Amino acid sequence: MKKYSLKYILVAAAAILAVIFPFITGEYYRHLAILTLMYAVLALSWDFAARAELVSFAHTGFFGLGAYTSAVTFLKLDFPLYLSFTVAVLLTIVVAIALGYLTLRLSGIYFAIASLAFSEVLLVVALQLPKVTGGAMGISVPSLFGGMRVYCYGLILGILALAVVVSLYLERSHFHLAFSAMRTSPSVASVLGVNTVRYRLSSFTLSAIFSCLAGAFYVHYTTTTIPYEAFNLNIGVASMVMAVLGGLYSTVGPVLGAIVLKIIEEYMRVTIPYGYMIIYGLLLVAGILFLPKGLVGVQNKWKFLK
Amino acid sequence: MVYAGQLFGQALVNGILVSGIYALAASGLALAFGVVKFLNLAHGEFLMLAAYFGIIVFSTYGLDPLLMTPVVFILFFILGAAYYKALVKPVLKAGELNQLLLTFGISIFLQNLALLIFGGTIRTISVPYRTHTISFWGINFGTARLFILLLSIVLLVLLYQVLQRTRVGRSIRAVSQEPEGAALVGIDSESVYLIALGIAVGFASVAGMMLSIIFQAEPMVGFNFTLKGLAVVVMAGLGNVYGVIWASLLLGITESFIGVFLPNGTGWSGAIFFLMILGGLVVRQSRVRTI
Repeated sequence: MKKYSLKYILVAAAAILAVIFPFITGEYYRHLAILTLMYAVLALSWDFAARAELVSFAHTGFFGLGAYTSAVTFLKLDFPLYLSFTVAVLLTIVVAIALGYLTLRLSGIYFAIASLAFSEVLLVVALQLPKVTGGAMGISVPSLFGGMRVYCYGLILGILALAVVVSLYLERSHFHLAFSAMRTSPSVASVLGVNTVRYRLSSFTLSAIFSCLAGAFYVHYTTTTIPYEAFNLNIGVASMVMAVLGGLYSTVGPVLGAIVLKIIEEYMRVTIPYGYMIIYGLLLVAGILFLPKGLVGVQNKWKFLK
Repeated sequence: MVYAGQLFGQALVNGILVSGIYALAASGLALAFGVVKFLNLAHGEFLMLAAYFGIIVFSTYGLDPLLMTPVVFILFFILGAAYYKALVKPVLKAGELNQLLLTFGISIFLQNLALLIFGGTIRTISVPYRTHTISFWGINFGTARLFILLLSIVLLVLLYQVLQRTRVGRSIRAVSQEPEGAALVGIDSESVYLIALGIAVGFASVAGMMLSIIFQAEPMVGFNFTLKGLAVVVMAGLGNVYGVIWASLLLGITESFIGVFLPNGTGWSGAIFFLMILGGLVVRQSRVRTI
């Protein structure tokens, strides 16, 4: 009993801190916290796909798709904010299911390459349709909530909370068993009667929805974006790294990874003016080589948290 | 006066001339995938490094990059072997995700290192024959591009001869087809992996030297070649070194035709080769071919 209570106290403390954080800090830390939460959503969304054994680069594409769909419907069609988010999510669901069906038979590295290609095709489309997307010059929207960071923080915290709830549901329901069976052996899983197609498509679609929400939030928060930024592979890979270094197939791992890596990145950006990306790349290499199970793997050694 | 047939011929020639460099870049990627079963996302960065190497040597000593090809190949072969020993080997058994992220990390590292050292400006080599062209029937052949295509063909034929006829080549094919069987008959798969990755990086370096002559070198140019190489490798059938030539021709010619005949076509050619990747994967249902 005692072990459990400590874990719950930690979780409750983190939740309370997350809620009161914007009220006890200044604008700079609010901005940093908002970006961190956005990356946490992305990392968690990527992990949803990873749970079904999908190494996906498609979340980069869905991030950009979310950003552009919501920005374009907001600007050109005068949709209110919530409606532009909804349209972005609906479009994402359609595209995700279509892509999911198309790539159903691909696994491992082949799926990774196909999803990378998907994201890059979307990038080219965004660049080549300047009448709709503004082309390489990008697109600008009015600032979210009139630039009130506290409300922005609230919105992205809400999205993250939703993602966490979905993740906990996946961990505690029949999804969890199906996913572990599929990761161990897809063929055995399907022979035992696990509907692998259904589970695979649903995890991929859930992953796409949250990537899309993160993207839609991103464009309204930063007020402007260009295709090379919205479909930037580095954003997608950064969130993959967060999930891997934090610990795969868990709720805590990706969120923890996002917080730790974003703090390290920001610290390096401020202290090393040139070439902090070099250190970031090195850190990534070292992390893969020396911390293959992620931070959660380290945490599992601390008995009292289990 | 330019008439349609001439335009068609020019587009075809341009596509064929550029496909040699694609084939060289992609054959290394295919070799690493077919033999080591390793997808190297940092492959293009070796191309970029070699391009800068060629530029520096040309500007300080005035040596022609194409004449230095053997030296650069040997240097980068050693670099590739060291790369295998230090970084690739530890993650080979760790799973695809770790391989992808590791090589992507290396790619970010090298790109930004190049950005720090060489700056973001575009660089080229001004060899005397860079802008020289020969004309047949009103169609222009860039001399440098023609040289480079010939050199690529020679190198690829050499690679196929080595793979088919030498002892090392037979070991490489054996490990690619059946690693356990190869180990049973006494082939040291470790050294085969080392050689395969050395050749892969060596070929990338030669492609890089060519790149510095007919295109431009900049820190981010490598990743573009990784992606194009991936497109070629996927179309050829993953790991199939022999199919690389046809796939490169297809990619080069398609790109060239779209650039010439579609309005604002050069922009769309990017989408085309990614659609080729998607289509290639979906149609081929991801069967790994062996050499």
